[in-house]
Amino acid sequence: MGDVLLEVKNLTKVYETGLIRKMHTVAVNNVSFDIMKKEILALVGESGSGKSTIAKIILRLIPPTSGTIKFGGKDIWRDIRNSKELIEYWRNVQPVFQDPYSTFNPSYKVDRILYQALKLIGVDPNDAHGRRMVVESLRHVGLNPEEILGKYPHQLSGGQRQRILIARCFIIKPRLVVADEPVSMIDASLRGDIMKLFYNLRETYNTSVLFITHDMNLAYAISDRILVMYKGEIVDGGSPEEVVRNPKHKYTKMLIDSIPSIYRKWSDIE
Amino acid sequence: MSEVLRIENLKAYYIQILAGKKIYVKAVDNVNLTVRSNEIVGIIGESGCGKSTLARAILADFSPPLQYISGSVILRAKNGKELELHKLSRDMLRRYVWGVEMALVPQFAMNALTPTLRIRRIIMDIMKSHFENVEEEKVVERASKIFQSIGLPGDVVDRYPFELSGGMRQRVVLGLVAMLGPSIMIADEPTSALDVSTQKIVLKTILDLKKQGYVGSIIFITHEIGAARQIATRFNVMYAGKIVEEAPTEEFIEKPYHPYSSLLIRSIPDVAEVLYYGGSRMKKEFTSVAGAPPNLAEPPTGCRFHPRCPYAMNVCRREEPPMIHIESNRFVACWLYVKK
Amino acid sequence: MKYMMSMTIKKVKIPESLQLLLRAPRFLIGFVIILAIALFGLIGPIFYPKDPLSTAGRPLMPPSSEYPLGTDALGRDVLAALMIGTRTSLYVGFLTAAIATLIGVIAAALSVAFGGIVDDIITAIISFLLSVPSTLLALIIAFYAPVKSYEVIALVLGGTGWAGFARGLRARLLSLREEDFINMSRVAGYSTIRIVLEDMLPAVAAYIVIFFAGHIDNGMVGEATLSLLGLQPSKGYSLGIMFSQSNTYGGIRRGAWWWFVPPGLIIMLVAISMLLISTAIDEIFNPRLRKA
Repeated sequence: MGDVLLEVKNLTKVYETGLIRKMHTVAVNNVSFDIMKKEILALVGESGSGKSTIAKIILRLIPPTSGTIKFGGKDIWRDIRNSKELIEYWRNVQPVFQDPYSTFNPSYKVDRILYQALKLIGVDPNDAHGRRMVVESLRHVGLNPEEILGKYPHQLSGGQRQRILIARCFIIKPRLVVADEPVSMIDASLRGDIMKLFYNLRETYNTSVLFITHDMNLAYAISDRILVMYKGEIVDGGSPEEVVRNPKHKYTKMLIDSIPSIYRKWSDIE
Repeated sequence: MSEVLRIENLKAYYIQILAGKKIYVKAVDNVNLTVRSNEIVGIIGESGCGKSTLARAILADFSPPLQYISGSVILRAKNGKELELHKLSRDMLRRYVWGVEMALVPQFAMNALTPTLRIRRIIMDIMKSHFENVEEEKVVERASKIFQSIGLPGDVVDRYPFELSGGMRQRVVLGLVAMLGPSIMIADEPTSALDVSTQKIVLKTILDLKKQGYVGSIIFITHEIGAARQIATRFNVMYAGKIVEEAPTEEFIEKPYHPYSSLLIRSIPDVAEVLYYGGSRMKKEFTSVAGAPPNLAEPPTGCRFHPRCPYAMNVCRREEPPMIHIESNRFVACWLYVKK
Repeated sequence: MKYMMSMTIKKVKIPESLQLLLRAPRFLIGFVIILAIALFGLIGPIFYPKDPLSTAGRPLMPPSSEYPLGTDALGRDVLAALMIGTRTSLYVGFLTAAIATLIGVIAAALSVAFGGIVDDIITAIISFLLSVPSTLLALIIAFYAPVKSYEVIALVLGGTGWAGFARGLRARLLSLREEDFINMSRVAGYSTIRIVLEDMLPAVAAYIVIFFAGHIDNGMVGEATLSLLGLQPSKGYSLGIMFSQSNTYGGIRRGAWWWFVPPGLIIMLVAISMLLISTAIDEIFNPRLRKA
């Protein structure tokens, strides 16, 4: 098991709503998969597929109903007993969320999110080393520190904010980045540079990326491996070529057929 | 095919007062557009290009802070008369144009169905606001027929909006438009919040509306080229308040002329391209358009795209390129194609 | 590399907004009014050193040069009484507001931080308090209170008037909790308390301050109501007592407006000043009312 970074086994998440008559929603149903080291794994699914729920469970934000997630041999939900171990986990696993508008607290300058990153890895944001790390991380993601530091979130564009979230990852250098629809709220013409940053993280720091998206095109273009989710279950998987050319499950087939392609008109549209 | 709508040199700016000074946000700046009967025209643009403002301007929905500056919007009504929309009062527009000759399906329309009313009530409200002597039985029957002809279940009229999925609600909205029978339907981002499988259904429905004669022509405004090309016959590319290229769909995809158009297409990864064309056009490499869309209050001088254009020449920085006619039915506004 | 780096994590947007606030006309006018009233109550007697309890004057005399606000039914100087009364009533008002705000913030924060059964209990208490007329409740509790003092009155009024505020605050905190920036702070290792204080509080600070400001007047009116109904403390003198006594001793019946109108005017002015200050704060701190 030398190459496995994160192991998900029989993960299930059931939501219960209602006070007297309880309704059960199974968001994630007995899902198992591994994330390898230095791998970009795409999790493709539409809304309601459970992919974002899995992201939050791996990020240790919401607890699973059953199943295990092992990182570095430890079960991240059962074997982490105190806040020190939790912080150690987060030094290794970090998110890039979808919405560049709600990931920043509007009451604070954007610098705060970078300082939080520094403090997480035990660096003082006020000393020279810390300040240099912040500047370098911004440059790494193609941002000019003078245009970014000291600004409030509403003064920056969505693309800039998304890059700051990735700059955070360049500071923390986690072993795994969980990116949940990181570019879906960015214009298509501006996505390319941001997508390249994920390659960057992998090449520079051996970071693995769990790339969660509904867009099969993006998944095909960036990932080493694709897993397809439908209604809380993994229904298909394989290399991008395999999944796209030879989809095994009929949902995958339908998904690929339904992609509105620029270069090709659907045969059944007229 | 005859012209149903002709927009000439239309300018519509937002007027803002900031620290005592008047600022003009040039969201629609000298736009020319024609729509012929039974045509589906696609308007492609990304955030900040002014496309939603264009939707309003096409309807002549000018209310503060959006102001009509100059130009014309001429509609050929169903009775053959030519109406100069930019000259009509809001009252006239409300009575004779909006919902009658032209209908707008705004972005997120499916979320605008009042959740506490049954669909039949919503239908009645809409019909009553446009027509007199509306009989519930007849109206609901007609609505049911239309809904069924676009693939919705027969009992949809008795349901509440919250009982329906996003795709179904979008199709209910399209069905409502069908009931009004406008000659032009403007759809602003009708598929952007939907799953890929639902997108296909909604696009088919939009096409259906035209095929079954419920609407005459369609203006399809979106940032998703892949979705638009499935049903649009012509593409207009909008950038920073201007139309920079116009061409028939297939020719546009085959060979986009304007640098922005070609960079935009190149930056979108496409699985079908790999499957059917061997990936010759799509390398597994990510490309972007450099920079960011300009501030419409202070657009760049000359060609608005020049700060981000890899082919920018001196003239591009100085003067705005004219829209020129290339080949039989293509237009582009770029100095690269202007012969000396 | 010369540029300004911002300071530590805790720097909040307050200083710039505070400057804007201090320059807003509404805030200044409101502030001046409340300051004037406070000074009137606190140092007024220094400039007008008449004994409010001396019954030397003739009863129910209209304003004159010797008694600028006339005398009450017991021959006491109304202006002097007004000063003492203002001081006490302001004290009760602030104390009430402070108690209500404190209870409301703690209730909402606990509700949101712990959820589950804690949330259910607190929501139930809030619903109960909102369904019972708070004045009636305060009345009943005040009636049975073994000790009657202004602090007790403030406690009773504050303890019954926090429910609506807590519900609004809870709703705001709940919607904040769903924001991604809360998750960002979590994965940076922040504890729940730290998230509530650092991430949520600045967003609701204005709401809390506005409630506090508005509730001062509630406290003053509440005190006046209780006093009017005979539940005033045995010792001390407030605007409420002025109302009460002008009613009991026939001041109202005999039209001695100089006795009962001024206290009402004071309470009204406090309300107006708080309203001005509140709207000024709301405009500055509410991003939707401001231009970006």
